[in-house]
Amino acid sequence: MAPDLGNTQKWMQAVILHPGSDRQAVDSAEARKLVPPSRFPRLIRPSRTLDSFDRIGIYRGMYLARLQEALEADYPGLRHFLGRKRFSDLVRGYVDRYPSQSYTLNRLGDGLPEFIRSSPGIVRKDFLYELARFELLMSRLFDAEESPVLTPEAIAAVPPECWETARLKPVAALSVQALRYPVGAYLEAVRQGNPKPATRRKNHWAVVYRRQFALRWLDLSRPGYRLLHALVNGVPLGEALSGVLRGGRHSVGEVQLFSWFRGWVTEGLFQAIELEDPA
Amino acid sequence: MGRNRWNLPDLGFGIGLRTVHYSYILANHPPIDWFEILSENYMDTGGRPLYVLDQVAERYPVVLHGVSMSVGSTDPLNLGYLKKLKALADRTRAHWVSDHLCWTGVSGINVHDLLPMPYTDESLRYTIERVKAVSEILERPLVLENPSTYLEFGTSTWSEVDFLSTLAREADCGILLDVNNVYVSCFNHGLDPEAFIDRVPADRVVQYHLAGHTHKGTHILDTHSDHVIDEVWSLYRRSCRRTGGVATLLEWDENIPSFEVVHAEALKARRYRGLPGPDHQRAYGT
Ligand SMILES: [Fe+2]
Repeated sequence: MAPDLGNTQKWMQAVILHPGSDRQAVDSAEARKLVPPSRFPRLIRPSRTLDSFDRIGIYRGMYLARLQEALEADYPGLRHFLGRKRFSDLVRGYVDRYPSQSYTLNRLGDGLPEFIRSSPGIVRKDFLYELARFELLMSRLFDAEESPVLTPEAIAAVPPECWETARLKPVAALSVQALRYPVGAYLEAVRQGNPKPATRRKNHWAVVYRRQFALRWLDLSRPGYRLLHALVNGVPLGEALSGVLRGGRHSVGEVQLFSWFRGWVTEGLFQAIELEDPA
Repeated sequence: MGRNRWNLPDLGFGIGLRTVHYSYILANHPPIDWFEILSENYMDTGGRPLYVLDQVAERYPVVLHGVSMSVGSTDPLNLGYLKKLKALADRTRAHWVSDHLCWTGVSGINVHDLLPMPYTDESLRYTIERVKAVSEILERPLVLENPSTYLEFGTSTWSEVDFLSTLAREADCGILLDVNNVYVSCFNHGLDPEAFIDRVPADRVVQYHLAGHTHKGTHILDTHSDHVIDEVWSLYRRSCRRTGGVATLLEWDENIPSFEVVHAEALKARRYRGLPGPDHQRAYGT
């Protein structure tokens, strides 16, 4: 009896997704359950030039190539570090475990950082995990909502006595990061064609954001990171500033703080100032 | 007005909106008739793609073209996807929404490919109902494209063209006739592309696709990576004689040349449709 539409589709998908050879795929337990291998040459007709294996093989080849291309676009740093073969092996392992479940390829790589972290036998795993997380962050910020940017007029309109309790609302496409590896510089170097960017451990801090639809990042000092981290998490300005002014070994002067603050505002990191309701 | 049964307009000669051309389009507002946009690329983003799309839709007629509707799949319809698709169509005032006669995955998985249907009575009945359901959700007729295919099911009892034509009639949907796909599939399956073209119901054809492909000797891959070959232009001319000519779009997705080169390739279609200028030179004033 002819397999029904659902069975035919399940069978074909099982064969396409199978990581082995065309023959192993048709012969796999999952495919066999749906279509016995003896029926295969009748189910997929040979053409003048290709046999049934060749024909299904075209779809199998295109499957991996397409997913690899999509992940390569989202993870150019990872691709550069690993090289063609190791990146391709990583993609194979990843999509075997987490086949796409979305209508868009843009979400295909969402689980790749965690996959790297949880996979045994990955050399330089700590670096690669952070690089992958950073690249995923870039994709998310690329697609984040566009926000208005705080204007000088809005700043001028804040009554002086309100600054202490004011909260700053960051733009949607922004993330403050504490990093252990120079992953931003690594990506930049890859983009510029530098074949061997540095990968050595280096604790540092940065804000990654989008401005006029281009992704950028700004290196931060440690107290700068603490201040900006507090602000984007809704801590009132006065409290955030005094936290940094009391920062012990890493304390900084007020002049420095205000210069950072001005720089961040000019860079368009904030979209609004939220003032406390007058009691 | 077009001669199709919905009187959907003949939009002229357009190309697919692609990222590499964004800056050129925004800076130059080139004199092109219309754009086709890949729906899924604009559904979940609030960034540059959507910004560019809004600018484009403001200035040019737009049509939505998707690859993930999976109308032939035995999985339930993805209602979230269809809702977003409808919202995007409304936002861009799209003249119509198209996808492919295919399935893209089953059991919740997306293979991200246009997988062929077995052309059986069962799958025809099933797809008719699905297309009707989708049209109702989208509140507009769906337009379906014939994909390039690389295999044939031994269980098929219909030819592709008769399957597509019957589906279009029974489900009341439009046809996006991809002339290059007709050529590719017919080559791969040893069929006569002219006979295919001649059997398509002319009053259902809402749009054409033209593209280049990659000949591998034993088979042809639909890569959209090159100029349109002469045989495909001849098929296009043959079909235009039957339909009277409808909205025509050139697809170029790999090794994409400059906007002007892609547009010039699209404008060649005027000649095959028997129309006089303005040709590419006149359009750009060069
Ligand atoms: Fe097409």
